[in-house]
Amino acid sequence: MNTERVSEDRIFAALASPVRREVLRLLREEGPQPVQRLAEHFAMTRPSFSEHLRVLRETGLVTENKVGRQRLYRLEALPLNEVQQWLRPFERFWRDRLTGLRDLLDQMDDES
Amino acid sequence: MSDDDLTTLHLDQFLAHPPAKVWRALTEPDLLAQWLMPGDFRLEVGHRYTMRAIPMPATGFSGTIRAEVLAYETGRMLKIGWRDAAPGNDADWTITWTLEPEGTGTRLFLLHEGFDPDDPLQRRARSIMDGGWRSTVLRSLEAVLTSP
Repeated sequence: MNTERVSEDRIFAALASPVRREVLRLLREEGPQPVQRLAEHFAMTRPSFSEHLRVLRETGLVTENKVGRQRLYRLEALPLNEVQQWLRPFERFWRDRLTGLRDLLDQMDDES
Repeated sequence: MSDDDLTTLHLDQFLAHPPAKVWRALTEPDLLAQWLMPGDFRLEVGHRYTMRAIPMPATGFSGTIRAEVLAYETGRMLKIGWRDAAPGNDADWTITWTLEPEGTGTRLFLLHEGFDPDDPLQRRARSIMDGGWRSTVLRSLEAVLTSP
């Protein structure tokens, strides 16, 4: 319970920064990429940027893999799905139900 | 879709079936049981009934709903009140279905109103994040979650 709360707070805190949200957007739209390429988008010192990446890594929003001499960053969707669940708990409920409704209508007779 | 207002949820879905058939699925108990929840629904303003779904502990939703038909317009609109049956849970929602013909099918709109913007989770999120957190975060989330 307690550790869950810490991690929720961390994810919200991670998403509170426009820089970190922009990193997530870049990873989504352009796919996994090395630190250097990500850093080019931001006017800040390398240590400051590294700190943002560390925060994202610690929440599990991104993962880092060493490929040769490069460190490759990748977006992980799972924590975002959880955030979505917290902010809009019923959204998935209804989307699942509406899928069920569609399937039911497909099976129903058009007559009667 | 990504409105700032977290007290309401809007969804819509295209269904390749005429409104009259969709209306049946929304108002006949044996059909409702198959896609939504079992319950003794009756199309009559003021009718109260109980429905059972899977609880969502993270949100305090007990899974048992005391529902009431609030209004309807045959084939076009159905408004249902939902209260959580658990003692101490003061959830008080309104679910409104609207049907619009679209080609040979139906566009079904869902409006789920009455979420409490001051529930502990939302308060905590707000305390951590800047003023624009609702729109910016929801927009980013939707962008990420709907990516190919």
